[in-house]
Amino acid sequence: MSIEYLREKIDNGVHFNLIKTNKFKTNLINFYIVRPLSKDEATKNALLPLILKRGTSKYNTSLEIQRRLEELYGANLSINVNKKGEKQIIRFAIETVNSDFIKEENLLRKILDMLNEIIFNPYTENEVFSQNYFKQEKENLKKRIEGRINDKKTYAVERCIEEMCKNEKFSIYKYGNIEDLEDISCKGLYEHYRSILRSSPMEISIVGNINKDEAINSIQDTFRLHREDIINLPREEVIKAIRTKNMITEEMDVNQGKLTLGLRTNIPYEDKLYEPLIVASNILGGGANSKLFLNVREKESLAYYIYSKSYKYKSIMIIASGIETENFNKALDIIKDQIQELKDGEFTDDDIEQSKNSLITTIRSMTDNNYSMSEFYLSQALTKDTSHISDMIEKINKVSKDEIIEAANKLSLDTIYFLRKKNN
Amino acid sequence: MTPNNLKNERLNEEIHFAELENGLKIFFMPKNDYLKKYAIFATNYGSNDNRFIPIGESEIAEFPAGIAHFLEHKLFEEPEGNIFNEFSKLGSYVNAFTNFNQTAYLFSCTDKFYENLELLVKFVQNPYFTDENVEKEKGIIEQEIRMYDDSANWKVFFNCLDGLYHKHPVKVDIAGTVESIYKITKEDLYNCYNTFYHPSNMILFMIGDIEFDKAFSIIKNNQRDDLKSIEGEIVKEYPEEPESINKLKVEESLSVSTPLFNIGFKDLDIGFGGEDLVRKQLVTSILLEMLMGESSEFYQKLYDEGLINNSFGTQYVGHKNYGHSIIGGESEKAEKVLSEILSYLEEKQKSGLNKENFQRIKQKYIGYYFMDFNSIEYIATTFVNQYFNGSSLMKYLDILEGIKFKDVEKRFNQHLTSDNYTLSLITPK
Repeated sequence: MSIEYLREKIDNGVHFNLIKTNKFKTNLINFYIVRPLSKDEATKNALLPLILKRGTSKYNTSLEIQRRLEELYGANLSINVNKKGEKQIIRFAIETVNSDFIKEENLLRKILDMLNEIIFNPYTENEVFSQNYFKQEKENLKKRIEGRINDKKTYAVERCIEEMCKNEKFSIYKYGNIEDLEDISCKGLYEHYRSILRSSPMEISIVGNINKDEAINSIQDTFRLHREDIINLPREEVIKAIRTKNMITEEMDVNQGKLTLGLRTNIPYEDKLYEPLIVASNILGGGANSKLFLNVREKESLAYYIYSKSYKYKSIMIIASGIETENFNKALDIIKDQIQELKDGEFTDDDIEQSKNSLITTIRSMTDNNYSMSEFYLSQALTKDTSHISDMIEKINKVSKDEIIEAANKLSLDTIYFLRKKNN
Repeated sequence: MTPNNLKNERLNEEIHFAELENGLKIFFMPKNDYLKKYAIFATNYGSNDNRFIPIGESEIAEFPAGIAHFLEHKLFEEPEGNIFNEFSKLGSYVNAFTNFNQTAYLFSCTDKFYENLELLVKFVQNPYFTDENVEKEKGIIEQEIRMYDDSANWKVFFNCLDGLYHKHPVKVDIAGTVESIYKITKEDLYNCYNTFYHPSNMILFMIGDIEFDKAFSIIKNNQRDDLKSIEGEIVKEYPEEPESINKLKVEESLSVSTPLFNIGFKDLDIGFGGEDLVRKQLVTSILLEMLMGESSEFYQKLYDEGLINNSFGTQYVGHKNYGHSIIGGESEKAEKVLSEILSYLEEKQKSGLNKENFQRIKQKYIGYYFMDFNSIEYIATTFVNQYFNGSSLMKYLDILEGIKFKDVEKRFNQHLTSDNYTLSLITPK
């Protein structure tokens, strides 16, 4: 396989990652600003991408930015915030077709310039963001936060996590909250942005067919990084004892109820039981051959979708499903039985083999997607993990039945969240 | 076997083609540096095809809405159990989808491609429907329909189609309705299956690091031998659709925070497939972007006035016997957005389009074409789609580059007129 990975420190707290390959027809650059997830700044960080997209000192309006991107053969620019464990990450991504395919020289340099404009030269008036853009985007973010209820599947999962981790940072919504939004001033936001540019750990990644020296030179020529003391990123708290035993019911005018269970895995990602846990989760609810799918869907026709998913950084597991409101007890009983069976080792060697194969296919498939590759190496950097894809596959392959049972027995049910149909 | 070979130098990709005696067409695109291997087995039969002459009969028969999708679910069932299990053993990922015009079965894997391929070819050609397994599926599909009933984006789109069309089946949800699916019987499923799953109505596309000869023999050696060859085309019938729209406005309330809208414009220039259809799709998409895309003054004006947010977007969908442009987004004042769009279109009809905007957006589409070739899933599904529409993914770039400013101007004059639109609105409950 023709993929090389290189990582190099290029400035105080700034790392460059090169994922060198010629299999893609594009070059992708990701610029990540990593922040600790905290209530104080989550809403501000969520507001930044919306404002930065509005204009730069060279391209004052989003119309000008868009036209420039179109000239660059439809370069894709996206800026967003994401939550990885108890970290909040602002990601600037730009991707464009590789110069081999079109008659345009130095396309990589041109998209780097565009990225530099967006990140380091935002449009300002009186040395702060434009009041106009600020007001409009504050309103847009408010709508987006209120819009959480629109997608019921995601909403139910996020609400379950929020209730379960009530007293922990992990409960903070990636777009922040409306009360904090009201308190943000244009000047305060601008100063916050200036400060995080100086003090945050940054990861710059390129996926494409580029040589290392050329890439580093271009990056250093383009970006003017003024680095100061770099903040420390605390590791996530992994709570071992259940503080709250919850049963939360919420009513909404919906056709389908959403039953979501939150469990503590009690296994940090550094633990040797981490890979066995991943296999256990796959046996329980990883796909069409999983215990939950076979029993809740295929045997009882109670749901169209049901799955389990474990969250690496925070050591929790979520089981999510969509069911008729009146089938709540029936579905819950089956899910609990299946968790118990997993703990009792009621699964076959075939089930283990299938789960391992399916996990390995997923890991290998990552290498065919440039965005996934970039995210994978970011996640390795955040967890200070230097292992490669082949090491991960080997660890999965080595997992034994006893280890799976041991990992499963550490699971403890914490929160049951049910979004139910309103009684009329 | 000597496969035909179609190479596109600029794209640096090629496609191999071969046909079996029973009429099955097989395509293959090498992607030697990808770890994933992917195959898709599709029939030219979707949710729109509910009225047709079943194989061996002579009269048109009508089937319950949602039957193509129901059939897709049931094909996974085999006498020995669910076929998912067999793919899981190989560590691969199997899935299927039904849209308005096709049903497709696919898998992706990074290992044991040929075993997976054999499974795919066998299970799609081996229907096993019993009264009991058909009954059992109804509860599952009912939950699938209810899940979509809670999706505001889905509802606003189908309500818009309902507003545009009087009779065409495209207005009905792909999965059908809870009532229609409970009417489906085992016999109905066999009837549809036997008509549309004949190899001559199907194609198989493969992509990845694969040996074509080996794959070809596996496909060839696993064909049913009890099939008669069929003469001529399957007769499908669609109700005669009036040119007018059905309803000016369709409104519904759901649990959402902000109202959602879809404004649909019905396409009257229909009745053809092939490269002309692909050209029309591209011309219309470019036109919509020139008028209302993120780089247009109109978009910026509505955005600055707070009438729209970044969920605003346009799309054109064109098929042989129907077509529509849809402009959608979120807005507290959707009626105002509509009236702004209508007066803007009228004003633009007079003042004319801008050629520079055309050049820029065309350039963007050329970039997108190359970028899309990063994804083998995209290549596979788009290839199948274009094939059934009578064109080829490999010709797409030539068609795109051949588009002239005057094609877009001409299209503007006959599409997006003030008497063929409908407004679909979802309001918060």
